[in-house]
Amino acid sequence: MKQLLKNTAKHWPYFLMALPVVIILFLFAYVPMAGLIMAFKKLDYQVGIWKSPFCGFDNFKFLFASKDILINMTKNTLMYYVIFTAIGTFLNIVVAISFDQLILKKLAKVMQSIVIIPVFISYAAVQFIVFAYLNTNTGMINEVFNLSTRWYSTPSAWPVILTIVKMWNSVGYGSVLYMSVLAGVDTQLYEAAKIDGANKWKQIWHVSLPSLIPMISVMLLLSVGSMMHSDTGLFYQVTRNTGTLYPTTRVVDSYVLNMILHTSEPGFTAAASLLQSVIGTVMILFANHVVRKIEPDNALF
Amino acid sequence: MAKNKNKDLEYTGKREKYGVGQFILTVCLLIYTFICALPIILVFISAFSDEMSITQYGYSYFPKAWSLNGMNAVLRYGKQLYQSYMNTIVITLVGTGVGLLVMSMFAFVLTRHDFMLRKFLSVFMLIPMLFQGGQLSAYLIFTGTYHLKDNLLVLILPIMVSTMNIIILRTYIQTSVPEELMDSARIDGAGEFRTFFQITFPLMKPALAAVGFMMATMYWNDWQNALMFMDTASKKPLQLLLINIQKSIEMLVNARNIPSSALAAMQGSIPQATATMSTVIIVIGPIMVAYPFFQKYFIKGLTVGSVKG
Repeated sequence: MKQLLKNTAKHWPYFLMALPVVIILFLFAYVPMAGLIMAFKKLDYQVGIWKSPFCGFDNFKFLFASKDILINMTKNTLMYYVIFTAIGTFLNIVVAISFDQLILKKLAKVMQSIVIIPVFISYAAVQFIVFAYLNTNTGMINEVFNLSTRWYSTPSAWPVILTIVKMWNSVGYGSVLYMSVLAGVDTQLYEAAKIDGANKWKQIWHVSLPSLIPMISVMLLLSVGSMMHSDTGLFYQVTRNTGTLYPTTRVVDSYVLNMILHTSEPGFTAAASLLQSVIGTVMILFANHVVRKIEPDNALF
Repeated sequence: MAKNKNKDLEYTGKREKYGVGQFILTVCLLIYTFICALPIILVFISAFSDEMSITQYGYSYFPKAWSLNGMNAVLRYGKQLYQSYMNTIVITLVGTGVGLLVMSMFAFVLTRHDFMLRKFLSVFMLIPMLFQGGQLSAYLIFTGTYHLKDNLLVLILPIMVSTMNIIILRTYIQTSVPEELMDSARIDGAGEFRTFFQITFPLMKPALAAVGFMMATMYWNDWQNALMFMDTASKKPLQLLLINIQKSIEMLVNARNIPSSALAAMQGSIPQATATMSTVIIVIGPIMVAYPFFQKYFIKGLTVGSVKG
């Protein structure tokens, strides 16, 4: 301990340099963590988190009593996580390998810059684009296919719509990561495979894919931790926060945001927030443990 | 190392012949790229369409008539737009600038092996990646305890420091800034601050460009915090203006400073759909213009970030 103090005193410039980040993290990440204690309090917006009285596990009783919302939003959150991760990872890899295989490198670069652009458009803007395609009277889809579907009151269509929007938004960006790995693959491996008589497909299967596995596992691991978190913009903005669509589009994050903006059940929301944080942490620790057992090199920590 | 590999790639590329398989691949990728671009093209086309052709025939890639009314409506009466633009620019510049500086310093400290607090600092930095307080808790504390509601700081500070970005910067210092250079600076009598600001920081440019662009995009696109924390019109950033756009356009058009001649020219009809799309262009435009300049660094930065350290 004494040694530590001495060392810190000796290197005081380092201490000063690290200080701003420490302060920011403390105020804006650690204090809100402590704020999760609200899950055990009877929240009163007037007096704030710290002064609200404790109420034990009442909030959780309440949370589990109104199961419908809880089940609905948990189910949606997990469903979209699985769909987006499965389809997203698959498409990222397909697109990355395709661009990597293309021998017209200049053209590949230009196309790559185009497909990455959607990720830089905020969902607040995306909602207007989706609206231009889907609104009932002037929407392009209805116009072109001569339909009169009221998309914004057809919940069953939204898992598909949101998946398309999400893929449009994220695949270009996601594939760049995999592409950078592919660019680093030793070309001798491909040469060797060719000499062994492997055709293009076999080369992809036996050389390209295996080289992507560490990256895939890191990305999956990182995503597991945010399994209970969703891309709030997608579910809140793109759906225009339409009540009729809630059965298939309500996720934990959009629910919490709605509660904050149109306050009603703070206790419920507080308990849900705590569950969300705890489940996320447990999941990432668990997944990391599993990966470490199978392939220690691919574990996060 | 990356350069070397790129060379290898081009080398094999030249050897291969452009055959049927490559042709099919090119066509598929062109189609995919085109589909990705379609929604963005629609924004531009509908912003410059005639309002009537949208209300009558719907949004279309081939509008019956073109018009600048939408853009004009937004540009001419955009006092609020100007203010929001300024807010977003201030938030983006201050957040990105200060964020890059403090995170670089922190990353630099993490690479100093003789500093014993280093271990503690890296754990301190990693925990927020695993465990978060959540939106509600953050909301209550930022507004109730810190009294930051309606303060631009609440849009800047909470998302300024990210563990992932610090890891990218740290990895970059470890792999690309030669230790010997920093040592020699020290031997020449430079203090730690001087070593950092004159040697390390300037050498980090590629990583700073990559992280900086990601941060700038994040700040530029942040609508959620704005929605939760901002009430006053003069403090609204662009994204919030976009969210409230139906209301905003009415506000723009009904603003006091509109000359009556302009109103007459518009014949009382508000170009809503086209004005909305024009605003979308104004909001997403700067990023689309800036992106090509950063692309090189951006992809490189992602690659560095993917190396776990």
